[in-house]
Amino acid sequence: MIAAGPLDGIKVVEFATMVSGPYCGKMLADMGADVIKIEPPEGDPSRRCGPFPKTGPHPERSALFLYNNTSKRGVTLNMVTAGGLDAFKRFVRWADVLIDNYPPSYLESLGLGWDEMCKLNTELIYTSITPYGRTGPRANVKGDELTIIHAGGLGNLMPTRSVDVDRAPVKMGGHPVGYHGGITAAFATMSALLGRVKTGCGRAIDISLQEVILAMIQPNVAGNRYHDSSWSRVPDRPPAMGRMKSKDGYIIVGAPEDHHFRAFVELMGNPEWGTTPEWNSMAYRINRVMDIAPMMDEWMLQQTNEDVYHAGAKKRIPMGPINSARDVMNSQQYAARGYFVEVDHPEVGKYRYAGWPYQMSATPPRVGRPAPLLGQHNQEVYRNCLGYSPEEFEHLQRTGTI
Amino acid sequence: MQDNVLPLQGVRVADFCWVWIGPYCCKLLAMLGADVIKIEGHKRTDLTRHSVVWPLPHANTTEVPPNQGMSFNALNMNKKSLTLDLTKPEGRELAKQVAILSDVVVDNMRAGFMERIGLGYEELRKIRPDIIMVSCSSRGQKGPESGYAGYATIHHAVGGGSYITGYPDDAPCHSIADPDLMNGTTAAYATLVALYHRMRTGEGQFIDYSQCEGVTSYIGDLLLGYEMNSQIPERMGNAHLQYAPHNVYRCWGVDRWLALEVHSDEEFATLAEVIGKPELAKDPRFADMASRKENESELDRIIEEWTRARDRDWMADEFCQAGLAAAPSRDGRDLYADRHLQARNAFVTVNHPEIGELELVGAPWKMSDGEIALKRAPLLGEHSDYVLHEILGLSEADVADLRTSEVII
Repeated sequence: MIAAGPLDGIKVVEFATMVSGPYCGKMLADMGADVIKIEPPEGDPSRRCGPFPKTGPHPERSALFLYNNTSKRGVTLNMVTAGGLDAFKRFVRWADVLIDNYPPSYLESLGLGWDEMCKLNTELIYTSITPYGRTGPRANVKGDELTIIHAGGLGNLMPTRSVDVDRAPVKMGGHPVGYHGGITAAFATMSALLGRVKTGCGRAIDISLQEVILAMIQPNVAGNRYHDSSWSRVPDRPPAMGRMKSKDGYIIVGAPEDHHFRAFVELMGNPEWGTTPEWNSMAYRINRVMDIAPMMDEWMLQQTNEDVYHAGAKKRIPMGPINSARDVMNSQQYAARGYFVEVDHPEVGKYRYAGWPYQMSATPPRVGRPAPLLGQHNQEVYRNCLGYSPEEFEHLQRTGTI
Repeated sequence: MQDNVLPLQGVRVADFCWVWIGPYCCKLLAMLGADVIKIEGHKRTDLTRHSVVWPLPHANTTEVPPNQGMSFNALNMNKKSLTLDLTKPEGRELAKQVAILSDVVVDNMRAGFMERIGLGYEELRKIRPDIIMVSCSSRGQKGPESGYAGYATIHHAVGGGSYITGYPDDAPCHSIADPDLMNGTTAAYATLVALYHRMRTGEGQFIDYSQCEGVTSYIGDLLLGYEMNSQIPERMGNAHLQYAPHNVYRCWGVDRWLALEVHSDEEFATLAEVIGKPELAKDPRFADMASRKENESELDRIIEEWTRARDRDWMADEFCQAGLAAAPSRDGRDLYADRHLQARNAFVTVNHPEIGELELVGAPWKMSDGEIALKRAPLLGEHSDYVLHEILGLSEADVADLRTSEVII
């Protein structure tokens, strides 16, 4: 049993694969919710994605699966068997929250639209995550990381500060669409849980990943309609600092305000070309910074990331190195905050996992258990949560329902 | 949705935030019905009031009037605005009064700043034990780098997102506003959990949020992979480790691009049909996922030969109707013009007294029981009188005195 957390007693069924739904489930599970993950008999496809340990691909060793499914119990269910649909309905009756990231028509095609689920459980919170949402002309169109990051407008803005309009815009590394979708879904689900306390009613939440990405760039698109300008990966104006190349890597410097710029000039040792008074004005710098950019770039090329980062940050200049996975794992700051958590998994052993950006004084999040093995909790869940008798459970196994 | 059933109806939030992350966190709470009071210093108003930072609506951003910055208007909807001179003790005292009459206090100042102005968590909880305080600093409140400052781009870099973004043969690239809005959403989630806990137990708490860690948490799978196999994940452009074709293709025109991703053999056969080259599906170079990946550049060349002579939006429709995952790489104009987004009311129109009609991005979720009413962002100090009279209970004479001594304007 997982120790009490702030969401202790909240029952969540996660009918979801890959990143968005599972990350939403993880965010709730790490806060103490009782999350049961339903996988098809062959497992969540993320089990086949990796990255894997040096020993190679193995369905219990995918980092994508292990990270996104902590603190959950796992069961298998074959939906297209006679007993499968009945078992799923029992899950719907049992749950406070159902997370679903299958295509919009999938559950509906099995006769499990929102109206039907509402009849089964009037207090159910049904969180649906789909590429384009459940309504509108593109409701049934396929989409995944690459297509949705471009459909939502973020892909078009990268590579940021490009000088080459002839090269295609580029997506972000990793699975940002899935994670951003999961975070948004977790927020919306919590809001419905709070709302349910007042109304006693469940509700359906329709999350479109395209709109999730659009929301994440809303300051960028807001200017379009009003100023009739378009924010692009090729800036309207020459960039004022931003990414700079150092002796051993790259560093981001953001010094928009006058005091930031003065501190940066000081960091460079007060060269004559940067200390004349006119530079002490944002309005002046915005249009003329390219006059001194070559000198700043030249200076930065002589610095090592480690030295210039700490020296600059101590002068209160907003800056930071472009860190690789190794740099992140070795960060002294993260270590001091205890950001990484050690998780011991029966198949892969002990590793450090990324933790949570929120440290909560009264309700610290925690990994209650490692990600489930495929079907690990079939017996306890079907028997204890859904009330199957030993004979019925055996029947489910025999008929390939689980 | 009826106001009286909004989840956070009756919850007050004191918003000591600026730029993007904190304001967005509070906007999310405001959209759920919380009464959010944004508190700004007279001399240091929110930077975004004057600009969208880039691109610039005016040759000189500092000349944009304070109510007309578009990212301010986007990220501060449904709030009230109070301005105070926070350099004066009387101003700080009023800020403290608002804070302790609030259920939640949110800030995104540098670690230690709220303590310095007398608004630290320990100070507030003495008076209001069940208060929830959410401090969203750059690196977190403790640790050797807790005093360092940052913006979205810096958090993306430090957290590990930039290193893996961009082309393999080119520099890494930071992202844009999205780390801030993602972090704002995550912080708002933690705030809701804290409110839920307080509802059950009566206990408040302090949430110490690190924006760099927020970025790191969304590449957690890659970090765990590195822990397991010691291989540093590198930039891959638009490519995928296993799937091909998986790229963004040039279309007819200037700077027009189409994203296309094919995961299965069946999808590849469909693609081959749509581009009029059904023989590709039987070509041994492209017969399965592994061979397509191996011959990816040749495959990309064949596909782009077709796409570059055709209209982007027409192709997107053709591919999607055939059952493939394809999308235009949309810029701002394309987003506003998207019929699907329009059909889903993804944008909302508000009327701004100084600018006129504004079309802004709505909530990134839809609820079965109706839509959230979105109201325009407040003008600078628009609700100062309301807050001072209705919430703090000051008399007309008190307020007049504060105005004379320029604690309020």
